[in-house]
Amino acid sequence: MFLCVVCGQNVFVTLVAQERVATRIVSLVPALTEMLFAVGAGSQVVGVSSYDDFPPEVQSRPRVGALLDPDVERILSLKPDLVLMYGSQTDLQGQFARAGIRVYSYRHGGIGNVLQTIRELGALSGHKVEGDRVTAQLQSRLDAVRTRVRSRPRPRTMLVMGRDAMALRGVYVSAGVGFLHELLDVAGAEDVFADVKREGIQPSNETMIVRAAQVIIELHPGDQPAPDILQKERSVWSLLSSVPAVRNGRVHLLYGGYLMSPGPRLAAAAESLARVLHPDAFVEAGPQVRP
Amino acid sequence: MSTSAVRRGPFGSAEQGEVPSIRTRLAVTIAGYGALAVATCVLAPLVGSTQISLARVFDRSIPFADNVDAQIFFVARMPRVLSGAVVGAALASAGVVMQALLRNPLATPFTLGVSAGAALGAILVITFSTAVSLGALSPVPLASLGGALLASAIVYGLATRPGRTMSTMVLLLAGVTLNSFFSALILFVQYMADFAQTYRTVRWLMGDLDVGSFGPIVASLPLVLVAFAMFAVLPRSLNLLSVGTDAASTRGVDVGRTQRLAFLSSSLATSAAVSLAGPIGFVGIVVPHLVRLMVGVDHRIVLPASALFGAAFLVGCDLVARTVLAPVEVPVGVVTAMLGGPFFLWLLVRRS
Amino acid sequence: MLRAEAVSFGYAGEPTAFSLADVSVEITPGSLTGLLGPNGCGKTTLLKLLCGVLRPHGGAVTLDDRPLSSFTRRELARHVAVVPQETHPAFDYSAMEMVLMGRHPHLGAFQLEGPSDFAIARESLTVTGTVDLADRNYMTLSGGEKQRVIIASALAQATELLLLDEPTASLDLGYQLEVASLLARLNRERQVTMVLATHDLNLAASLCDRLVLLRGGRVLAQGPTSDVLTGAMVQQLYDVDADVQFHPRAGHLTVIPVSRTR
Repeated sequence: MFLCVVCGQNVFVTLVAQERVATRIVSLVPALTEMLFAVGAGSQVVGVSSYDDFPPEVQSRPRVGALLDPDVERILSLKPDLVLMYGSQTDLQGQFARAGIRVYSYRHGGIGNVLQTIRELGALSGHKVEGDRVTAQLQSRLDAVRTRVRSRPRPRTMLVMGRDAMALRGVYVSAGVGFLHELLDVAGAEDVFADVKREGIQPSNETMIVRAAQVIIELHPGDQPAPDILQKERSVWSLLSSVPAVRNGRVHLLYGGYLMSPGPRLAAAAESLARVLHPDAFVEAGPQVRP
Repeated sequence: MSTSAVRRGPFGSAEQGEVPSIRTRLAVTIAGYGALAVATCVLAPLVGSTQISLARVFDRSIPFADNVDAQIFFVARMPRVLSGAVVGAALASAGVVMQALLRNPLATPFTLGVSAGAALGAILVITFSTAVSLGALSPVPLASLGGALLASAIVYGLATRPGRTMSTMVLLLAGVTLNSFFSALILFVQYMADFAQTYRTVRWLMGDLDVGSFGPIVASLPLVLVAFAMFAVLPRSLNLLSVGTDAASTRGVDVGRTQRLAFLSSSLATSAAVSLAGPIGFVGIVVPHLVRLMVGVDHRIVLPASALFGAAFLVGCDLVARTVLAPVEVPVGVVTAMLGGPFFLWLLVRRS
Repeated sequence: MLRAEAVSFGYAGEPTAFSLADVSVEITPGSLTGLLGPNGCGKTTLLKLLCGVLRPHGGAVTLDDRPLSSFTRRELARHVAVVPQETHPAFDYSAMEMVLMGRHPHLGAFQLEGPSDFAIARESLTVTGTVDLADRNYMTLSGGEKQRVIIASALAQATELLLLDEPTASLDLGYQLEVASLLARLNRERQVTMVLATHDLNLAASLCDRLVLLRGGRVLAQGPTSDVLTGAMVQQLYDVDADVQFHPRAGHLTVIPVSRTR
């Protein structure tokens, strides 16, 4: 008999009277893998997705595919007792339920959802105490960032998640929904696209001119490129010379996988954002230790 | 009896012995459509989701960097209108030429695989962008141009037989095959893309005229101008070619040369257009049909008229795209599709 | 003088069908020659070789002692015009536009048709009795009307040679006679040399002064109609026992098939 429990946005299907700790966990969601390692359940992770890259220990785990191409055979061969997957992978959920394997299904949400998920994974993996601790720590670090920049004016900011290389085309920005939008809020800024109730949109040049952001922050998952390339990438924004961010030189390009990861490194992301938004608030704090 | 049994040009039904000279028809058509194109291009930048004042736009006393109205006019809208004109003219003309070459009014500039090649190039670069670095050059337009030219070269290689004419059957089959094959590759690459990359790819596929600066337009001009130079010598030969390759040959047309010119010019124009703005559909088929309804089927008139009307048409569609649901922008390819679909339904109904 | 000297031709993948071997034919100026033979004998292939659309694999086709390959297509189109069996334009050209296409070899690259071109076109339409159809959409005309418009188009090309492939195949009896008399008149009054490929023996008998009989890609016989068109020849060509007689009222030979002899 199956009991579907809905906690917040996440659903986990479990056999009644079988509430054991999961000891062999396969994760198709990189952010969730990170969370497992953060709560001390790293050794229980037996399989990871093709996109996992943090922490470094995941390199040694077998890869089992991802959102579009989960390798069911591979997953089954690892004999998991818990599989973490996306909420949209409903067929997969059905398959594992029939095989009698527990499934944890995850949907993107805001910061609150991230904290909730860490707690739940902590409990499922038998690390409830660490789970709660990590969550509390994360919350307090986020609160610390929020406090540090609280009294400062909040600049209107455009958070860019993607763009064609070397050109101001295909600009994909974060809008009024999701954890990136909330991080911006924590870091002490107004999202210029807060009124658009979607996770992301691709605005035209005219829209960007009209919205007139005071700060533009680009997030890149990779490594920082050579200085001349970096400079050229920054200079594509000079096209929109009337935008205050461009005129006042407040265009920032940030590099690092942690910046767009809805997991334990959220606080670091918030801090990086806050440091470019309110550099004066971090003067005595010394350089950031990036994860 | 079909209403097209007696053909009426823009001068009504011709009396016996009073056929309006082609020269006159050509001059009037070009003047008319040219005026339409120019008017559209001049008026379009004035209209948009944000109200701007023409007085402020040209107010020299305000420094350009502070003049939001001028920024919107010269940075956001003018390049967009100009690229719309260039892409519209290129795709419409390429459509006319393709339809004559393949002797099929349903042919489009994308029938022979050019846009599939362009799409593959673009998606490869969007997905694997960290692995591809071309220094200061923007990789997406270059890669899509490369893909388009590669697809054209493959089809050309398959369909050309030295010393003999191209077989339209082979052309079509090669094009269809390439379309399928490249589409499969595109799906495969998309499989490996993450969410943001997929979104940007899908968005690219819907077409985007928002080039932001005149640079990309200027960069595409050499190809476009070469294509148009080739278009200029084709029209009468296209008339004859569209009756049949043997029929054209016995009337003195160098069929092989005409086919090669038609294929190359159309591929160049399409490649330039798609690398500039993505694959915008329906322009290459709706515009030639509309124009033929208005000016008849003589390619000497249809080709220039389609180029001019194509420019006006696409600029018009882009205007609709950026205003109809403001502040949300509808991709221009969606607007052309929504106009194109019903148009063809109407054509079908009218014919039956 | 249009001459085919020992030409041979084969279609790729079709070793014997429609191919020709060692065919020599002489078309004298002013003559009206008929190419006769059963389906697959190579009449249309020979016609295409004679107008340069196909190139022979062996032998040569010459016009006034110049090989066809030495002509540009434009040049050749000023000497030889072709009326194919069927014409299917991809767009809705009017009859006048179809006829004007015949003026192409006489126009410069960017030259537009002038009053003389229109006059020639109109005259060609008049001669073929189709001038009232000038503004009609070609595709909406009847079979006979279409055929006459294409003949007009070939006439507008103002050539000394006219090649026709089955000119009466899709026509009613009345139109058959009309087109036949039109062709006879053109040959007589304008000295247009004509070659027509046909399987209509009676048409050939009524119209042609010379015949070339083809069978299996080879010339069976060629010469004046009265010499060549005999019962024995019809027997060899079609395996049919036929009566070939001069018909006094018609004024030419007629062929009446009686029975198969295979």
